[in-house]
Amino acid sequence: MRKFSFMMMSLLAGTVSAAVPEFELHIRDHLFFPATLDVPAETKIRLMILNEDDTPEEFESYELNREKVIPGKSRTVIFIGPLKPGEYPFFGEFYPKTAQGKVIAR
Amino acid sequence: MFLTSVILVLQEILEAALLLSMLLLVTRLIESGNKGLIANRTWIWSALACGVLLAWSYALYMPVIAEWFDYVGQEVTNAACQLLTIVLLLVFIYGIKNQVELPGSAHTLVASFCLIVVVALAIMREGSEIVLYLRGIMGQPEAVSPVLLGAALATGIGVSCGILLYYLLIALKRHIALRVALVLLAFFAGNMASQAVLLLTQADWAPYTSQVWDSSALLPEYSVAGQLLYALVGYEATPSLLQLAAYVGAFLMIAASPVFRSAWFRQDLV
Repeated sequence: MRKFSFMMMSLLAGTVSAAVPEFELHIRDHLFFPATLDVPAETKIRLMILNEDDTPEEFESYELNREKVIPGKSRTVIFIGPLKPGEYPFFGEFYPKTAQGKVIAR
Repeated sequence: MFLTSVILVLQEILEAALLLSMLLLVTRLIESGNKGLIANRTWIWSALACGVLLAWSYALYMPVIAEWFDYVGQEVTNAACQLLTIVLLLVFIYGIKNQVELPGSAHTLVASFCLIVVVALAIMREGSEIVLYLRGIMGQPEAVSPVLLGAALATGIGVSCGILLYYLLIALKRHIALRVALVLLAFFAGNMASQAVLLLTQADWAPYTSQVWDSSALLPEYSVAGQLLYALVGYEATPSLLQLAAYVGAFLMIAASPVFRSAWFRQDLV
């Protein structure tokens, strides 16, 4: 069983590092950098979000169907897509006035 | 800050409050005339206490948990809690029997254990976000009072919605109320299954499946009606095929239980 789960883990890890393009999104002073993120369409994306603020933030997007809390001074990963070409707004639910951005898939 | 706080806290409170209402209703309706366990409501206080404790600890250890499994620990933990919730709901629902239970019997203990854990896990998942948010705000003195005021107001509204649902249904005829409560519980199980699948997809632990429909123009998830429907029946504007399958599967598992079938089709058991 342990051997099997190890194989599953390495299989998962293998697919992650080998095939999926990775993009970075930073949170600083309750703002997203870059506020506009260009990604390829029809491809699964590994989105690494780095929260440089001391305060937690919640990445949320109704269009991407994603939601995740990111504690202060920490990083996290969200997989998105494959996306059809188009614009997908996202925002920080804890500081929605300033923390806004969008993913553009093309 | 005030409005953000109201919206955020209300979203989290609403689901837990509605769940507690449904469970209270089901236990009251199946046990009227039966002074067994669940008729005495002490399990609620255990559930609330455990839930608050779990929410606080989960928020506290979130930075560590979030890094598990290559930064998808949060999704995996939440999905595991949701799947556990479904299992315990099934144990509870399938365990409902047509006989008077003595307080302290094995069956009553299992039933109250299920109820306590289900409610505590809901409070943990929803409450930990509130705890994280509030702890973040505490570092900004000017934001503290509007945010706390908003959180208090939202808690009031959320709890009121739960109480309103309870008394709306309890005012109905008993067999109708039981039918509605059981269907809502089946919707809740479906919602948990669909959310778990969504989280596992977000973590890349479940495969991507195509979107079944897009009703975001008709009824956006962020609208008031969308939010209410989300909390009540797990409304999604853009569900994936796997989410829909999980939703239907969990719904049917509750609907296949003896208590559900007898409430809807026979009325002999309850």
